[in-house]
Amino acid sequence: MSDEHLNLTLRIWRQDGPEDRGAFRNYQLDNVSPHMSFLEMLDVLNEQLIASSEEPVEFDHDCREGICGMCSLMINGQAHGPDRATTTCQLHMRRFNNGDTISIEPWRATAFPVVRDLVVDRSAFDRVIGSGGYVSVNTGNAPDGNAIPIPGTTQEVAMDAAACIGCGACVAACKNASAMLFVSAKVSQMAVLPQGRTERTERVLGMVAQMDKEGFGSCTNTSECEAACPAEISVEHIARLNREYARAALTAR
Amino acid sequence: MKCPTYSSWFRERRLDAVCQILRLPAVMLSQIPGIGPVVKAASTTVGQKILMAITGLLLCGFLVTHLAGNLLLYAGAKQFNHYAESLHSWGILLNVAEVGLFTLFMAHIGLACSTHAMNRQARRSQYTQKESKQEPMALPSGGASGWMFVTGVIIAFFLVVHITDMRLKKNPFIDYSPAYQNGPEAGPDEFVAVRLVLTNWTAIAYVIGLLALGIHLSHGFRSALQTLGVNHPRWNRLLEIISLLFAWTITLGFLSLVTWAAMTSGTSN
Repeated sequence: MSDEHLNLTLRIWRQDGPEDRGAFRNYQLDNVSPHMSFLEMLDVLNEQLIASSEEPVEFDHDCREGICGMCSLMINGQAHGPDRATTTCQLHMRRFNNGDTISIEPWRATAFPVVRDLVVDRSAFDRVIGSGGYVSVNTGNAPDGNAIPIPGTTQEVAMDAAACIGCGACVAACKNASAMLFVSAKVSQMAVLPQGRTERTERVLGMVAQMDKEGFGSCTNTSECEAACPAEISVEHIARLNREYARAALTAR
Repeated sequence: MKCPTYSSWFRERRLDAVCQILRLPAVMLSQIPGIGPVVKAASTTVGQKILMAITGLLLCGFLVTHLAGNLLLYAGAKQFNHYAESLHSWGILLNVAEVGLFTLFMAHIGLACSTHAMNRQARRSQYTQKESKQEPMALPSGGASGWMFVTGVIIAFFLVVHITDMRLKKNPFIDYSPAYQNGPEAGPDEFVAVRLVLTNWTAIAYVIGLLALGIHLSHGFRSALQTLGVNHPRWNRLLEIISLLFAWTITLGFLSLVTWAAMTSGTSN
């Protein structure tokens, strides 16, 4: 690994607020360590901007270890940058070359309005979860472990779906800004388990209705979401969502 | 860079209006007691896609019978005309089938317009740069899946040409008189008519239309299965291969007839 520091031109989307038109601004950032994460690089840029009394670039971040789903960014036209199965916080500057121009845009979807600069409002996802993405349980003592037998392979399918961190890369990468991969992961993780099956009908009808209400697009099965997903959620779950939905639509009482 | 000018504001309102109009049939149908809930479900993004998949697969079924019938061209004039006559002898049933087929096409096209409009609404401001993370594909912008609307429009135009040519026999560039040699009572000789159409220069529309069909089907068939919930890690690879084979067997089957007509145009048959 080369330790050579990078001199970069950053082409960053700046937007003062939801109503502002927004535009790209170019920034020169020199002497970037290749061992920095992408977000650390933006931190350094913001230090430089603050030092010269400019407004720092707003961007979302939290855990910086790839599990919270807060970071986003369309980096050179790719959600979370060029690597597969990687969030922006896990992306390192060694993936770039000295002299590169890096274009950074916010997620673009009607359901994800820009709040400021690179920050978008992803509360549409919260409302989709609120419309059915849960299991109703009685509180009280925890039930016995293994009281309900669940095959290991089934657990794995549920766990694969539950790996979704809700970052919105699927929506950002989809040409239709469809949230099908997200919604299907949240439906699947419960639909395959006995505890979740009780509410499967209301869940899928409610979540799809909310997904449409938020203004996400429909699924053209391009699988672009699967390729962009940092948690490697498979489009297999979208097929399950379709099955769940057809079943619920035809048999709901 | 986007400027919220009057024209862009107008474009957005127009998009909203188009979407409202396209949703009207579903909204009205959902008021009917009894079938209301099902129609309401069918008006969601998922429901519309399921309906598109069903109509698409039924149209695939039509393509199979259409190609099977047309391959009788290779068997010669007698067999092909016998096939045409027996179809025509259905009488009113044939008209019912035609109306059914027309309805399928209209439903498929209508749903395509509706979902396309919703998808446009879902991303009002575009990326200035957008790249794919998938393996490089034969076609740009996401392979065949990125070309469904474009190829769909080409196929729809081809359909109009095809019906004018073959069903109505009203192509202004073709002299159909050789097909009416058996007297005014006997009706047209379909074998001669087909050869007249396919050997005319306007047959270039058939080549373009069929290639668009091949691209459309190569994504459409597998995509329809996925939308209907057919996806299993054990079978996915096989399903992909079957879909590609289906798409290009249908396309090359029809294309072979165009080539056959062109290559044997000198000979009388």
